[in-house]
Amino acid sequence: MNNCRDELLDMPEWLLKDEKYIPQSDRDTFVNKSILSLLKVISRIKTQDSGKTARYNVNATLNVAFTFMLLILLSISRSFIFVIIINVYLLLVLSTMEADNIVKILRVSFIMAFFTFIFMLPTVFWGNSFSCVMITSKVFTTITAVNILSHSARWSYITSAFKRFFVPDIFILVLDITIKYIVMLGGFALNMLYALKLRSVGKNRSKYASLSGITGTMFIKSKEMAEDMYNAMECRGFTGEYHVYSKSKFTAADFAYIIINVGIIFIFWYFERI
Amino acid sequence: MIEISNVYYSYSGLNALNNINLHIEKGEAVALMGPNGSGKSTLLKLINGIISPDSGVYKFNNEKITHKKLQDNKFAKLLHQKIGFVFQNSDTQLFCSDVYDEIAFGPRQMGINETDVDKRVNDCLDLLNIQDFRNRTPYHLSGGEKRKVAIACIMSLNPEILVLDEPMNGLDPRTQRWLVEFLVKLNKAGKTLITSTHNLELVQEISSRSILFDETHTIAADMPTEKLLENIDLLKKVNLVDKYYHSHEGKDHRHFHDHNF
Amino acid sequence: MHIPDNYLSPAACAVMGAAMVPAWTKSVNKIKNEIPKAKIPLLGVGAAFSFLLMMFNIPLPGGTTGHAVGGTLLAILLGPSAACISVTVALLIQALLFGDGGILAFGANCFNMAFVLPFLGYFVYKFIKDRVKTEKGEYVGIALGSYAGINVAALCAGIEFGIQPLLFRDAMGHPLYCPYSLSVSIPAMTIPHLLVAGVVEAVFTVAIVAYIKKVSPGTIYEGAKQKTKAIYGLIAALICLTPLGLLATGTAWGEWGADEINKTVSGGKALGFVPKGMANGFSFGAVMPDYAVSGLPDIAGYILSAAAGAAILIILFKIISSLKKDKVGSNIE
Repeated sequence: MNNCRDELLDMPEWLLKDEKYIPQSDRDTFVNKSILSLLKVISRIKTQDSGKTARYNVNATLNVAFTFMLLILLSISRSFIFVIIINVYLLLVLSTMEADNIVKILRVSFIMAFFTFIFMLPTVFWGNSFSCVMITSKVFTTITAVNILSHSARWSYITSAFKRFFVPDIFILVLDITIKYIVMLGGFALNMLYALKLRSVGKNRSKYASLSGITGTMFIKSKEMAEDMYNAMECRGFTGEYHVYSKSKFTAADFAYIIINVGIIFIFWYFERI
Repeated sequence: MIEISNVYYSYSGLNALNNINLHIEKGEAVALMGPNGSGKSTLLKLINGIISPDSGVYKFNNEKITHKKLQDNKFAKLLHQKIGFVFQNSDTQLFCSDVYDEIAFGPRQMGINETDVDKRVNDCLDLLNIQDFRNRTPYHLSGGEKRKVAIACIMSLNPEILVLDEPMNGLDPRTQRWLVEFLVKLNKAGKTLITSTHNLELVQEISSRSILFDETHTIAADMPTEKLLENIDLLKKVNLVDKYYHSHEGKDHRHFHDHNF
Repeated sequence: MHIPDNYLSPAACAVMGAAMVPAWTKSVNKIKNEIPKAKIPLLGVGAAFSFLLMMFNIPLPGGTTGHAVGGTLLAILLGPSAACISVTVALLIQALLFGDGGILAFGANCFNMAFVLPFLGYFVYKFIKDRVKTEKGEYVGIALGSYAGINVAALCAGIEFGIQPLLFRDAMGHPLYCPYSLSVSIPAMTIPHLLVAGVVEAVFTVAIVAYIKKVSPGTIYEGAKQKTKAIYGLIAALICLTPLGLLATGTAWGEWGADEINKTVSGGKALGFVPKGMANGFSFGAVMPDYAVSGLPDIAGYILSAAAGAAILIILFKIISSLKKDKVGSNIE
């Protein structure tokens, strides 16, 4: 299998013997938890790019604007009925989406609502159950609405929709770069965490040193990435201006969406008057 | 030593491993080959216990390695001590502020006393011929130097198996040659080697047996490296080489390569 | 430390958003002058770094884990203006794209974590570093800066929470948003940060800066060459306190405590008493004040229930059939 010289390297004796090692216990869940968070984040960004959106595709600008409007109305509203109506509306929208998205969205909404409920529980014992019920349900509705937006529109469309709201182009560029680099830097960080995990063979007395070594390396790497990216941009003629081209067409779904949202405004106004 | 039976694995709905069956004995030197995205890296992660199969069995030293078992801290740590993994990107492997600490990290965790740790670190520095880097910062070394440091910090754990993911990537020819000879010596000293590589010129020297993956994420061939390299049709079929790939028969030996036109 | 939506009134959110506009403009201008277009990618990457940092689980004594924000860390590494923008973008992505909530509260969250945290932290750090010119002094500056930064940020959040029930109540006296007043919210926010989160932040920041200094000192922000004048620290503190003035319209500090006690007693439900509604069994009407559930004609109620039922059925059906698909798919030959 080889044609190398027959020079035998002195291998140290400890390398020639099998290690008889029994690990001690050590709590280093932080590595696993960090790995899981990063995996979730990276896969979330990657899947949203796959193009599988809801069947009824609404123009991203409208989606962003009306979702925002919905959040404000919900926040102001003192009518529980209004919150319920919006919830039913969101459930109907959810039912048009893909099953795995539905599960993801509902899971987050339920968890956040649950924690809100626990957090608000003491007020019930003071005789005020209004806050608990209202805020918990509002939280559920709000989280569902925002998640429907982020799952039904491609993020590049959402960021370019900001252009319609007088956000400077450069800011949108920074947003787009950030999303891309969360994946790249995140992947780098993930591998570092794996490497740490694989070398965590015993008791790590300096967990902070390891974690800060990883984070520090991440930072240095991120600066290099930025440098590389700037050079690449310059080579392609970037002069500081970034034009966001939003390709928007209005479809029937958009008109229906507008009408529904105008209806929501009416309903809100109706219940506020009472 | 390593037994993989009927293993399937997929993530995010994408298939990564399809019906993998593999047996690796202690002391073997095995190469994993195949086009990009064929599942080699995924298999390496599985062997190292980073991921667990969706179905099928992975046994190491006759013990089943399951997701549940890996949740047990001590079990996972022992597995990681026995199987050392050298990543493709050395940057991700190094996170200490100097080379000495980097190599000492593993043994210190194992509870070895500081004198013995010092001996091990010095032995590793000698072995990899990087004594001059003792106090240097790993991040600032060149690609080849970083690779050596990464290998050193895995060797100091004294693993039984050394798994390497594309170790030749980014190395200059001289360092590649050095690495080949180093791996051969390690194997002779009793370490099991599993290397994933694209480098058809050198694979024959670092492995006696090759496992070929194809684009359907299954094993297309499992045979002595020499035989596999002669089977140009098979290599073409899995899209590892193109139609210009050939060999020249020389006087004492044959080297496979392709001319870059 | 992230404030979710619906805990702050829209008015408070708008005020905090308005307070951030000058901070953002000033940061953007500073960045434009100090660092040319070369650094636009740096802002994006810095934001990515900030985002990922907030994802890391940090080991705490006892085996639990916590999180750091890293605002002061970014200020030391990139400069406070760049840190402001980076954290802002990271928070925006968390809130909007990851659906973590906090869109209306975005202004308040940015104020706490993208303004107070980096700027205050940085000034404390620079103040100490310029006066104690040893290496140890610098690390003390880093530790105190990040500790102070995050604690003041937590205090601001506590104040933002606690003011809500005092300013925004409905006709029946129920708080519309966060129901916990200052005497609850301030200790609830500041104590965990003083005891735990602040220490974690300080230790983590010092460790990372130390590592980067050793490995690649050139990457750290140089900062202003001249010593910071104490006056700037004062101005920074004033800027932080101004929005409080905006919110604390008309009420003197001391009266707040008394008010709160009044409301609790007037409801007839002081601690130790079982609230009437709960004693008589749980009825929906008792839970919700009349006006909150009134105004819905019967027919609308039926339509609403039908729509809700239909949507829920469709959702369940979809979920079940997708689960079934998985099971079939795993029998590969």
